[in-house]
Amino acid sequence: MIRRAVLLALLASVATVGHPVMAQTHAPDPLPLTPAAFPPFRETVLPNGTRLIVVENHRLPVLSISLSFSAGRVADPAGKEGLAEMAGGLLTKGAGRRSANQVAEAIERVGGAVNAGAGTEFLTVSAGSLSKDAALAFELVGDAVVRPSFDSTEIGLMRTQTLSSLDLERSQPGSIANRILDGMLFGNHPYARHATPASVKAISRADLIAFQKARLKPAGALLVVAGDMSLAQATTLATKVFRGWTGAPAPLPPPRALPTRAGTDIVLVHRPGSVQSNILAANLTYRPGDPRHYAAVVANRVIGDGADSRLFKILREQKSWTYGAYSALERRRATGHFVASTEVRTEVTDSALAEMLRQLRRIGAEPVLAEELAAAKSAITGSYPLNVQTAEQVAGAVTNVRLYGLGRDYLQTYRVKIGAVTGADVQAAARALIRPDAMAIVVVGDGAKILEGLKKIGPVSVVDVDGKPLAESDLNPAPQSLPVALGQLVASRDSFVIKIQGNQLGWSATTVEDIPEGKRLTEHTNIGGFVEQQTIVDIAADGAMLKVRQTGKTQGQPTAIELDYAAGRVKGKANTVTQDGPKTLTIDTTVTTGTIDDNAIQGLLPALPWNPNATWSFTTFSGGQNEAKVTTLKVVATEAVTLPGGPVDAFKVEMSGGWQGATFWVTTASPHRLVKIAIANTPVEIIRVK
Amino acid sequence: MRRFAALTAALLWPLVVAGQVLPRIPVETYRLDNGLQVILSPDHSSQVVTVNIWFNAGSRNEVRGRTGFAHLFEHMMFQGSANVKKGDHFALVERAGGQTNASTAEDRTNYFEMLPSNRLNLGLWLEADRMRSLAVTDSALANQREAVKEERRLRVDNQPYTAAFFEGIYALQDSTTCFPYAHSVIGSMADLNAAGTGDVKAFFDLYYAPNNATLVIAGDFDRGQAKAMVTEYFGTIPRGSEAPAVTCDVRFGTGQIRKPWPDQKATLPGVFIAYRVPQYADPDYPAVVLLASILGQGESSRLNKSVVREKKLAQAAFAFLNPSAPRRGPGVFLAGTIANQNVTAETIETAVMAQIASLAKDGVTPDELDKAKNGYLANKIQQQQISYFLAEAIQEATLFLGDPNGVNTDPARYLAVTVDDIRRVAARYFVPDNSLVMLVTPAGAR
Repeated sequence: MIRRAVLLALLASVATVGHPVMAQTHAPDPLPLTPAAFPPFRETVLPNGTRLIVVENHRLPVLSISLSFSAGRVADPAGKEGLAEMAGGLLTKGAGRRSANQVAEAIERVGGAVNAGAGTEFLTVSAGSLSKDAALAFELVGDAVVRPSFDSTEIGLMRTQTLSSLDLERSQPGSIANRILDGMLFGNHPYARHATPASVKAISRADLIAFQKARLKPAGALLVVAGDMSLAQATTLATKVFRGWTGAPAPLPPPRALPTRAGTDIVLVHRPGSVQSNILAANLTYRPGDPRHYAAVVANRVIGDGADSRLFKILREQKSWTYGAYSALERRRATGHFVASTEVRTEVTDSALAEMLRQLRRIGAEPVLAEELAAAKSAITGSYPLNVQTAEQVAGAVTNVRLYGLGRDYLQTYRVKIGAVTGADVQAAARALIRPDAMAIVVVGDGAKILEGLKKIGPVSVVDVDGKPLAESDLNPAPQSLPVALGQLVASRDSFVIKIQGNQLGWSATTVEDIPEGKRLTEHTNIGGFVEQQTIVDIAADGAMLKVRQTGKTQGQPTAIELDYAAGRVKGKANTVTQDGPKTLTIDTTVTTGTIDDNAIQGLLPALPWNPNATWSFTTFSGGQNEAKVTTLKVVATEAVTLPGGPVDAFKVEMSGGWQGATFWVTTASPHRLVKIAIANTPVEIIRVK
Repeated sequence: MRRFAALTAALLWPLVVAGQVLPRIPVETYRLDNGLQVILSPDHSSQVVTVNIWFNAGSRNEVRGRTGFAHLFEHMMFQGSANVKKGDHFALVERAGGQTNASTAEDRTNYFEMLPSNRLNLGLWLEADRMRSLAVTDSALANQREAVKEERRLRVDNQPYTAAFFEGIYALQDSTTCFPYAHSVIGSMADLNAAGTGDVKAFFDLYYAPNNATLVIAGDFDRGQAKAMVTEYFGTIPRGSEAPAVTCDVRFGTGQIRKPWPDQKATLPGVFIAYRVPQYADPDYPAVVLLASILGQGESSRLNKSVVREKKLAQAAFAFLNPSAPRRGPGVFLAGTIANQNVTAETIETAVMAQIASLAKDGVTPDELDKAKNGYLANKIQQQQISYFLAEAIQEATLFLGDPNGVNTDPARYLAVTVDDIRRVAARYFVPDNSLVMLVTPAGAR
């Protein structure tokens, strides 16, 4: 058989694996389709002022309910950020005659779900079930908004979980990027504010109850029912579960001014070890209802909404820099914003951002191609049948129109208005609404590797994952020799207890001995049978490393390190426990002068010249990793530490840049003693007892 | 493969769910001469139609040194064919107002187009063109290799916890006796780098032939018109040779594996516990599915009530089967939690293990089992609302039960599960000797 491949390869240098030619060589033309009107829905206003909308559809015996209020986080009082989100989350954790467990049992027993939560603008309680269980679904929604318990135990649990999830967000580059972007875009406007550990801890039960009483009122609320139910049935059920619930919500605080931005600024969020950079580039746009919206939607489609867009085709398909690159028009009541986003591998961060900005300039500067315009418009209008497949999708679209005040005929006329957008409209909207020369740009990545490239694009300020400013020198500290005064280490023995969540689970003992070459530091550690380890480090009189001998067990696996430092090299072997089981490393590598073995750091702390501004960066070598890194010790505070013998003043010293972060407390008084250690991101604390 | 369809259909039809009849899904099955299996499931409640093809190929078909290849190949399916330029597959579908994508799992690779119903012809034509004449160039392969590597960085290497999911669970199988299920779908960077166009062509010839594929059309279409289009577009694609069989020596209870999992991206400890479980068609499988629901799905699940709410040890707890898709080989049951602040991984492990042990020791209540069944059935009804999910359900029944009508009959297997069944499978599979424990500890250098 002569393969099509051979011919094609000759003609177009395309090797095709394949078979006899397809008779039809062009994509087939569309078949006829009867244009469908937006699905009908019915609405009424209940006597208590709640608007009820019903999208009736009896194809399947299912039903969904959503009840929305203007009660999002935007109205959280200063210092109590997180109030709306916490209150929303608690509405289903005990309400009416049911405890939290009983609410969950009741709805899950019938294969349904009930949820409540607050976003930026709105708080929504929703439920879904088979239609035979409609009465239960209505009852649970009614109880949640009118009769929530705000049980103290549930509040405590919610607070714990919220604090932990804030911590979790700090580990997720996408969450970090969005939080920093909100700060850049919205300045002092409440849109920029987010829950913090302190604000979450400040929210009391009284605050939650007051929130519910003030904000969750029937007047102006929106109840939307979709599926196997009529308006009459929905009215009857709603009237029953909301009986006695009346009134209007307290007015929202007056709107704050939104900041204006004169130029493009880049905030680099330093996340050491990131293998990708998350990039967001954004600017504010317009309020809901702006007539430029339709042209903006088409422009956004051309730039970055989908795989048929410029950003995706260039950054992914041409350049291979990313798995995806997109843009979006976000909608909020006070203003929308445009945001372009991608995640790229670290090495191409600046190239990708520069290309992204080039494309954002191009859309305003050049007329959009006729073919692109037609493709964008047909994609938007053509997707209509997919967007109204289910009653729930229809209900969601109607809800958005009502909550954002988009106009009564928005959904019915949407396709016609998109169809009327011209190329000139697109360019004008893009020029006015996408401003690459006045953008807020956030890049989350490994600052040491990407800062220089970003500086060529715009002014860069560097922060850590919490948004705290960093100096450039914090990114890539130049290693020095640690100013060790070995004479400060006198022969001694110290005992420590190891606490996990406040419970003593182990102990550690350290000794300093004089040996002919210099000093010998010995550490013996035992943690509840999980870890048992003895380490000996010999150090020359001039502070140079001589040898390390470590033996022990971690979770039942033997570990051992034997290292000898001499003549600018370190040689030896390390048996360690990794994800893939025990591993033996043979070590033979050069080390720079002044390199400290990671096992020696703790023992050398008393021999350093501490002061409130002390900061040292130096090279450390880890036998377990067979790798050298620059580690930084920095005094961040002076504070009292409570020891069994009473309080002592200590420098709080943060160690960063190595394999495991830690905080040390070293007495301010000389001779300096190490009195406490906290291992970063763990509940482990080590405290000196003797 | 054992067949349940005939048996269960005779036992119990129609299915009645707490007073509601489970709506019957129409299923018409036939084969083209070239071996392509075609399944039609019309429903005219919306103007949407889904074209959905499953190839009987996935990471289980990969050979040593080429892990991640089935997924890389999936990307190549969007790089053009005789009549479709590189990138135009996405463009043509999006311009039609549709959605298209694909995904790779251990046992299958799926491709779909969800379209306005007047564009059924476009979806069928696009799928036929690439099944007939996929374009394979060095530049497209190099480009997609990088895209896949970025996907790996995005989902695995730059995220906390996910490596335990995407890669850790494969340690449950012994790669010497069951390589097909002992390596990850995402694959290794080294293997991705090693793949060449020769590999792509060989994989296409072996696995992407019509006789190794099933086409489902679900939603708003005319049967006669659809059949004519299927014949026109797919009918002349030649049959391929039979793909080699996949072998795996399935063993349960071969000893606990413990993996310390230092994670530089994590800020809180986490615990992921996995068990070897039987395949989809196994008589024990429905009980395992319902056990997962009772243990770790929903607010009123055992793990949520005890570990999250009562003991306050974790932010959330979950349990589910087979993170990517069901399997015809040994399955994976995964239970996991991410700790609250100041809670150690060991503490959560103890608490989760105690809950799992009690399933065999004390059993579950009839109420718990009813709840799990109702959740299962409500989910079956909900998924009929969108033609894509319905098409996927039909494909699942076809590949894993050998019977497209299993989409209608298989729920009977789940309704027949008793509390004794749950206890029996708990004692058989959910024992320490059959588990893999991954303790994630933050190892941040921040």
